[in-house]
Amino acid sequence: MNELITYLVSGVALGSSFALIGSGFVVVHRVTRVVNFAQGSLAIIGSMLSSSLLARHLPHFAGEAVAVALSGLVGLLVGLVAIGKRGTHPLNSLIITLGLSFLAAAVVILVWGQDPVSPPGLTGHTRLFGAEVEQQRLLVLGLTLLAFAGLAVFFSRTYLGKALTASASNPYAARLVGIDVRRMGLLAFAISGVLGGLAGVLIAPSNALSFYSDLPLALSGFAAAVFGGLVSPLRTLAGGLGLGVAGELTAGYLNGSYQTEVALLLMLVIMIARSSSFVPEEAK
Amino acid sequence: MIRNRPRAVAILVAAVAACVAPLLLSDLTFFVQTVQAAIVVTGLALLMGYAGQASLGQGAFVAVGALTVAVGTTHWGLPPLLVLLLAPAVAAAFAAVVGIPLLRLQGHYLAFGTLALLLMVQTAMSSFDLLGGAYGISGIPAFGVGSWVAVGQLPYAYLALGCLGAVLLLSARIADSRFGRSMRALAGSETAAESAGVPVQRSKVAVFALSASYAGLAGAVGTFFTPYVSQDSFPATASFTYVIMAVVGGLGTMWGGVVGAVMVSALLQVLNTVSSQPGLPPTAAPIMQYATYGALLVLALLFMPRGIVPTLDSGLGRLRTRPQVGARA
Repeated sequence: MNELITYLVSGVALGSSFALIGSGFVVVHRVTRVVNFAQGSLAIIGSMLSSSLLARHLPHFAGEAVAVALSGLVGLLVGLVAIGKRGTHPLNSLIITLGLSFLAAAVVILVWGQDPVSPPGLTGHTRLFGAEVEQQRLLVLGLTLLAFAGLAVFFSRTYLGKALTASASNPYAARLVGIDVRRMGLLAFAISGVLGGLAGVLIAPSNALSFYSDLPLALSGFAAAVFGGLVSPLRTLAGGLGLGVAGELTAGYLNGSYQTEVALLLMLVIMIARSSSFVPEEAK
Repeated sequence: MIRNRPRAVAILVAAVAACVAPLLLSDLTFFVQTVQAAIVVTGLALLMGYAGQASLGQGAFVAVGALTVAVGTTHWGLPPLLVLLLAPAVAAAFAAVVGIPLLRLQGHYLAFGTLALLLMVQTAMSSFDLLGGAYGISGIPAFGVGSWVAVGQLPYAYLALGCLGAVLLLSARIADSRFGRSMRALAGSETAAESAGVPVQRSKVAVFALSASYAGLAGAVGTFFTPYVSQDSFPATASFTYVIMAVVGGLGTMWGGVVGAVMVSALLQVLNTVSSQPGLPPTAAPIMQYATYGALLVLALLFMPRGIVPTLDSGLGRLRTRPQVGARA
């Protein structure tokens, strides 16, 4: 029983980082119909920046905050290249962001080298329902919930958030009422940069990240976002947590090396099961 | 006919060069790998260009072809020629089976779905001893027909070239067939194609299987050449490289795959040589490789979204038709 609780708790903690990366996919896809393959790279750049800043004796919180803000700027740059040119088809934009993730890998190796980097974070453990949990993982869970609450409020309660949603649901009508759809798309990319950077800053202290981690990060985040049909932040959160728990249970009771495969298989099943509801939206 | 003359000359020159090159090169590894990539990318360009479906996991089918050869020869003692012919068939059958559910996905979903498929094939290869397990499969016999057995690298270079020739011929025939036209209709609009009587789902599975059979054939040739197969033989980066080659060369053209594969391979070879110069840090090689991949993809898609071959074609066409402006509009 105790074992099960440990797996559940660590699964929820792991899943919240999937959800955080997934939310980056959702924000960009909602507004621009583009899947940002560089989402994993944004997390890596965030973690690398924070480790450099903390090593330069910037205090905690300030270091992380600056790293997250800079990641937002990088996200904006990604957006400028991916959708800056008018009439770029979303599938072409996907391949452009794949190219940008390669460029990001080159920059990361150039500046930070090839070794995994793990900035300092919280080190203690807490007992929760009789299971030992790293405090850093609890911090990830807490900040993820906060970020999703923030997103929900932003999209439903602010003018800017409503403008973003409007450009997502009907770009033509949004343009008619004076919303600059392209600028909204760039804003979405900047937000996804912030979310990606936040994910990287939070994950790296417990799982060291290197330039090589972009694919696993992007895949797990995309898998979480698939649960929300790439548009719903709330279902992405649920999907991320579900994937994390499923992965930890597999690792605990079956075999650790199948953890990713279980996530991928679940993702495929969900995608294929829901494929009929994707079609009309993709056809636009 | 006149319109095609420069193209015919270029193809002839390239074919002669490709046949003479193996005799002049001292090490044929690069040559065989390039031809192998050209075979895969020809199929991928068909899939992406004609059927409008993106695959980020084409390496999965290369792996299936390679495994057919490795397992067929080492475990079941099948003759090399038979497994070479079996490899594309097995890859196509595998693609047809996984394609039926997978191809209900479109666009981004299919791209990620095929990538997930590749990662699962890798896991299967490392988990089952029959498929190589932790050590991979070695001891694959040399290629041969009857009593003749290939010695050295040269026969493999011509084997690969022969396969590429066969693949290109087949693609040309298919592109001009009823099936080829229905594929192109699919890429334009699935709804329109369906209402014109194209069996959408079946055509998509068919072209997916066709591109997989090319990949399987390339995997088979590569396995006889290397002769070793493990899960590390088919990294995700290789599958991304195929996409880069297809995009750079030009989607939906006969020659785009070959042009893209040759150009990108040559560029990577030059970079390899440059980055292994003394005095450069060991990280120079990966930095240059990643930067080149990235820059190629971004620049190609932004400034030449149709690829080199179509851009050149329309450029030449425009030059030739300049006296009658508007004739081609």
